[in-house]
Order: sequence, then structure tokens, then C-alpha cells
Amino acid sequence: MMHEHGILRHAAQRLLGVLPTMLLLITVVFFLVRVAPGGPFDSEKALPPEIQANLEAKYHLDEPLIQQYFRYLGQILVLDFGPSFQYKDWTVNELIAEGFPVSLTVGGLAMVLAFLVGTMIGITAAMKQNTPVDYSTMGFAMLGISIPNFVVAPLLILVFAVYAGWLPAGGWDWSVQRMVLPVITLALPMIAYVARLTRGSMIEVLHSNFIRTARAKGLPEKTVIRRHALKPAMLPVISFMGPATAGLITGSVVIERIYAIPGLGSYFVTGALNRDYTLVMGVVIFYGLLIILLNFIVDLLYAWLNPKIRYDEEY
Amino acid sequence: MTRPFQKIMRCTTVLLIFMVSVVSVEAQVLRRGIGPEPDSLHIHQAQGLSAIHLLRETREGLLTFDAQGEPVAGVAQSWKVSDDGLTWTFILREDARWSNGDAVTAAHFVAGWRRAVDPQSQARTANLLSPVEGAQQVMSGEQDPESLGISALDPQTVQVRLQRATPWFEEILAHPVTYPMHELGSEDARQAPVNGAFFISDTTPHAQISLRPNPYFHSRDSLALDAVELYPIEDPSAELSRYRAGELHITETIPPGRFEWLADHHGDALRVSPYLGSFWLGINLSRAPFRDNPDLRRALSLAIDRDVLVRVITGAGELPAWGIVPPGLGGSHWTFDFMGNADQRAIEARRLFKNAGFSRNNAPRIELRYNSSGQHRRMAVAVAAMWKQVLGVATTLINEEWKVFVNNRRQRVLTEVFRGGWIADYADPASFLDLFRSDEPLNWSAYANPDFDELMEQSTKLAGVERDIALMKAERLLMSDMPVIPLYYYVSRHLVAPGVKGFVDNVRDIHLSRYLDIETEAQ
Repeated sequence: MMHEHGILRHAAQRLLGVLPTMLLLITVVFFLVRVAPGGPFDSEKALPPEIQANLEAKYHLDEPLIQQYFRYLGQILVLDFGPSFQYKDWTVNELIAEGFPVSLTVGGLAMVLAFLVGTMIGITAAMKQNTPVDYSTMGFAMLGISIPNFVVAPLLILVFAVYAGWLPAGGWDWSVQRMVLPVITLALPMIAYVARLTRGSMIEVLHSNFIRTARAKGLPEKTVIRRHALKPAMLPVISFMGPATAGLITGSVVIERIYAIPGLGSYFVTGALNRDYTLVMGVVIFYGLLIILLNFIVDLLYAWLNPKIRYDEEY
Repeated sequence: MTRPFQKIMRCTTVLLIFMVSVVSVEAQVLRRGIGPEPDSLHIHQAQGLSAIHLLRETREGLLTFDAQGEPVAGVAQSWKVSDDGLTWTFILREDARWSNGDAVTAAHFVAGWRRAVDPQSQARTANLLSPVEGAQQVMSGEQDPESLGISALDPQTVQVRLQRATPWFEEILAHPVTYPMHELGSEDARQAPVNGAFFISDTTPHAQISLRPNPYFHSRDSLALDAVELYPIEDPSAELSRYRAGELHITETIPPGRFEWLADHHGDALRVSPYLGSFWLGINLSRAPFRDNPDLRRALSLAIDRDVLVRVITGAGELPAWGIVPPGLGGSHWTFDFMGNADQRAIEARRLFKNAGFSRNNAPRIELRYNSSGQHRRMAVAVAAMWKQVLGVATTLINEEWKVFVNNRRQRVLTEVFRGGWIADYADPASFLDLFRSDEPLNWSAYANPDFDELMEQSTKLAGVERDIALMKAERLLMSDMPVIPLYYYVSRHLVAPGVKGFVDNVRDIHLSRYLDIETEAQ
């Protein structure tokens, strides 16, 4: 069998591709944030010119842009994202180190929840295709996709925190109670997507020849689903989950604002609004690396799930 | 279950509930929202209001604020001002201590002030120290920081020399930029010892800042609270939810548009009070058609019905404004020559409009520029509608992201009419009026009137009623030249849980936790 070697070779090729991709990303973002009018020190009350000049010198903003660019590339090589312009007591590395575990926890739990519940609903709907069960679950899924989370979140807070008083309305202290509402809010639309994807591909798989064969052999329906249908049916779900996970675990601006969660998501927006160059660069590069990594994992999972795409030379 | 066993269970339960309630009585924990995440804990780096508030909780200057928000003795137990108002001599408290036990000495103040004005160390609010002798020269790099007019006569005595008498200097002495600086705190603010009522025991950025009483604080015995938990919450709606769920005692603000609902449902907690801020529309006087046309500017001002704006658009008890100095600062509250009711003002507006050389069929097209925000947009739409209705003026609304907006406003090239306004650094009319001196960089209207400059210059040499009168004259002159159209005076807005004691509404909106207490029911 050559395919293990094939996967490794494929992995190496993909990793080589990371470098130019990241360089392109860094370059585009570096110049884009600086092209935006205004700078990190602009505020309502203007700074005295001497202090402004000293600040710019301190952060090397007085150098030619191209020199700043190469200086920044040098920093990135040693994984130093520099100090934040807005949160002056913190470096960008510290902010990411504080924020990412929070976003990873909320997003990761939401992803697991979405995957488990979504596939279960999807499989059930597929097995009971065109019955009331199918229609009602898919109707529910449609609802989950179309109601935005800035509507769902305040509703959940109102019901479970303000009126019932069972759960906190927001904030973060690593306790399970504070995770429940944000995780559910974040998972709801994902559950809906996963359910619809699973249903669709499951129905397709159930109509294919190898399933007919399995059934003809007299296997019970449960075994047919579990042993034969599940793996191929998961393919589109897995390819959706990769980038979606990167999105979820780097935090959602809306969720973080409404539940006052100290994750990474809000830095994408506040960093850009404050012209916090180093913070924007830091989170974007971090996000880019995560997406590449997760897509890579998805590729490997794909190869494992689908014998048609083993990356060996014979194929 | 047998009966005796049930009895024992019941007794145990009662006992447990009792113990739990005793424990909660003992720990007095105040939970406050503080608005956005503080931008820095360094006394020279902090700029945002939330950071300044946090520094006031954890540190203390020569002066501090009392429960009513008035400047009172802090580290200084007493001070003398020379007759000319230029030399201030402070005697420090002997029991003033840092949170590591070190004494707070005069040298700490000298070190802090020198660093603040040193251009190398980049204090963001150094301008507040400009009344001090030599400060301007040090900030512009002409002189060494050592030449600043502050000296330690002995470890307990600080002497400050001013360039000119400054009526609001006491308040500056309670601002973080004038706080003492411990040798350990000059760079890393997170590790620095503090000298205020509380120290920071734990912090999670964007989530929570935990304060505990500083055991070395000179008035430690007067603190009623065992802990203060501060929550940075950017979104006022999220803050309101947490208040309603019982997780906060005090909120930093209330969400826009919820005033009436809150008055109905949380009337006992809603606190609205006049604040040190004014909202106005600025006019760029360097551009046609506004240049040399005060009648046009007055007409535009009179055509706006402030009563409708504060009732319908802002709706949180804001006061309609005809001047720029908010009530409560000794300014004259109305400074425009012509008042009357809305209909009379509309007639007068049309008359002035005609005088200015315009008519309904020959009306100028005006650009109204504001920074993106729901409230500013509604305000701009309402003003445009009023101009259209009263004068026939067509308005182009231009909405810009904050950084773009402040840049354009500062450059005074693109702007015509723009969102302006000011929140004072100190409670004095000059904090507002100084903005319109012809050499002031924050004079976004490019207003230049030698008579106004002269009045402002005169006021610096006066004191008491004479100074008030000079400032009032200056404001009247300003309003007759109308480089800005005042719309309303800001108010501070909080929800304060009914069990919180010691929270006094004040114009500076300063409510130090060291004066607050919670009744046990509110826990």
C-alpha cells in the first residue's frame, strides 16, 4: 500500500504552500490597515506634536513603509506580534494568549454540540424522508439558519437569565453556567447547517448501489447506516466543518459583545476601528494559520473517510 | 423517613441557610460596570474615561474627590497658596503608604510630574500640566524635565510653581497625570504598587477587574466594602441585561432609547444628572457660504427646535442648549440674543436667512458630517428635516467612521457643518471656552475673533465674580458669532441598585467606591 506515503507527501506539499499564502496575507493586510485614513494615535483630543512624534518613533511609524514592512516580517519570524496600540499594558501575544482559550472553549463546545445534534437530526430526517418528522426537523433547521444570533442571544438572556434567573446574563469566569447560553447561541445555526447537509448527503448515499447491496445481504438497517452509509455521508459535513470551526473558535463579535465574553472575536473589529495595527495583524495572521491548519486536517480526514481520494501515485 | 430524622434534616437545613446568609452578610462585594476595557493602568498612558476611573479607585494624588465629586485633600493633608496664586505648598500625610508598605514621599510626586511632561515618556494627558512653570518648554523639548516647577522641599513637602494663576488647578491635582510615581511603577503598570483605597488583585482583560482594599491605605478603616468587582462591558444593552439579572449594582450607562422604559420599570434605580458635557454642531468658518456670514449661521441655529431633539432623539433628560458652557459651571445658561417660542424662532430664522442673502428658492446645499452611530444619524436626520422645513435648505448627510471623522474635522478642509461637542477635563467654563481661542488646535471651526481672545486673556488675570463675568461675556460673544450651533447639554446616566448607599449624583460623574456601601438586602 502506497497511500500512507502518499498522504505524507501530500501533507508536505500542502505545508510548503502555507508560506506563500501567509506571506500574501501578511502583505495585503499590512498595507491595507495602513492605507486606511487615520492612525492609532488620532483621537478627539489631539496629542501635543512632540509627544505624537515620540510615540511614532517608539512604534517605528516614522520609518518608510517598506522598512516597517520588513521590520514586521522579521518580528513575525520569531512570532512576536509586538505591543498593542490601544491596550497599552498588553502585547498582542498576551492578548491572543488570554483571548484564544476563551474563544476556543466556547467555539469548540459549540462545534461539538452542533456536530452531534446536527448529524443526529440529519440522519433521522433522512431515514424518515418526506414524513412529518422530516418536515418538522428541517423546518426547525431552516428557522435556526434564518434567525440571526443577535436576535436569539438577547431572547435567551431575557428568558433564562432575567426572568427565570437560572443562568448568568453574561461575563466570563470559566464556570459552566456562563458557557451554556453563548455555546447554545453559537451552535444553533451550525446545528441547522449540519442537519441539512447530513440529511442531503445521507439521502444520496442511501440511494447508492453499495447500500442496496448491503441491504440485499440482509443487514439490519442500523448496521447499514452505521457501517456503510455514515462515513461517506459525512464527507460534505466534514468539508464544511473545517473552515466553520476556524470561524467559531476565533470568536464571534456578536456573541462576545452580547454576552460580554473576553474572546478574540471583538479584536477583529475594535482593532480595525482603533487602527491598532499590531493587534489587527496579530489576529488576522493567527486566524489565517488556523484556517490553513484546519483545512489541512479536513483534507486528511477526507482521505480517511473516502477511499476514492487516497493520495497515492496510482490514483 | 422517620420523624426524628426529618427533624434533624430540617434543623440542619435551617442552620445551613443561616450560615450561608451570615457569610453573605460578611462579604460586602460591590459589582460595577465600567464601560469599555480600560486602555491602560499607567498614570501617563491612560486616556479613556474607564481607565481614568479605575486609576482614581486605586491611586491618589495630592488631592482626591469626595463623595459629592468635589476636590478634597488626598495625599496632601493641607496646602497653602501664595497671594498671587502662583506658589502652592503641600504638606503630605505621614500615613500615606504604597500598597507594598513604602511611604509616599514628595520625591514620588516630583518623579511622576517630570516623567509626565518629558516628551520621551509620552504622557497622553500631559497638556493638563501646562499651567505649571516650565511645562510647555519641557513638553516641546526646549528644556530638561528637571526645570519643571515642582520640587521636594523635604520628604513631606511638595512645592509647585505655576506660570499663571489657574482657578481649576485643584481639580488637576486629583487627575491621574499628577499622581505620584513609585520607582517600581514607571514602566510596567500591571506590577506597580498603588497608593489608593483599593489595589487590583486579579484581572482578566475584557471581562473582570477585581479590587481589594489596600491594607496600607490611610483611610482603610472608613471603607465599608470588602471587594469591588469591575466589569468592562462595551455594549450598554448587555450591561442592562446583567443589571436586570442581578449581576451588577451600578451600571456605567443606559442603552439609548430605553429611558422611558427604564423610568417605568426601574424608576427607583435610574439616576440622571447634569454632566460636564455639551453637544453642538460645528461650522467650518473658513468655507463658503458660512465665512463672513453670521446671519446664515444664526438662521441655521434658530431653525433647529432643541426641545424636539432632546425629547425625541436623545430622550434621557438632556437639557436643550443655547450656549456651550453646561449649567452648574457658572456659565450663563442661555446666551443667545433671541429666544421666544419655536414658531417665533422660525420666523426670526427666515428673516436672518433672507438677510444673509438666501431664500427658499435660493437656498444653499449644506453638508452635515458626523461619525457613525445610530444616535448621531438620527440627530442629523432630524436637523436636516428642520432646516428643510423652516428654511428650505437641502442637507447632504455624510457619515464617517470615527478615525476618519476626527481627522477630517481637525484638518478643517473638507468639513462644512459637523458633529462637535466636548466633555470637560475640569469643571470650569474655561475648559469649554478655551477651545475657541484662535491659536487652539482643537478649534475645529477655525474661529478667530481678537475680541474673544482678549476676553479670555483678561479672564486669566481675574478671579471670583469678575472672572465669571468676563467668561460670560466671552460666551455671549461666541454665541453671537455662532461658530457652533449648540444643541443640548449632556447628562450622566446610571442604574444604581436601591440598596447601594453613598452614591451622590454630581456634575463630574465621579463616584469613588471608597464612599459606597451596600445594604445587606441588595447583596
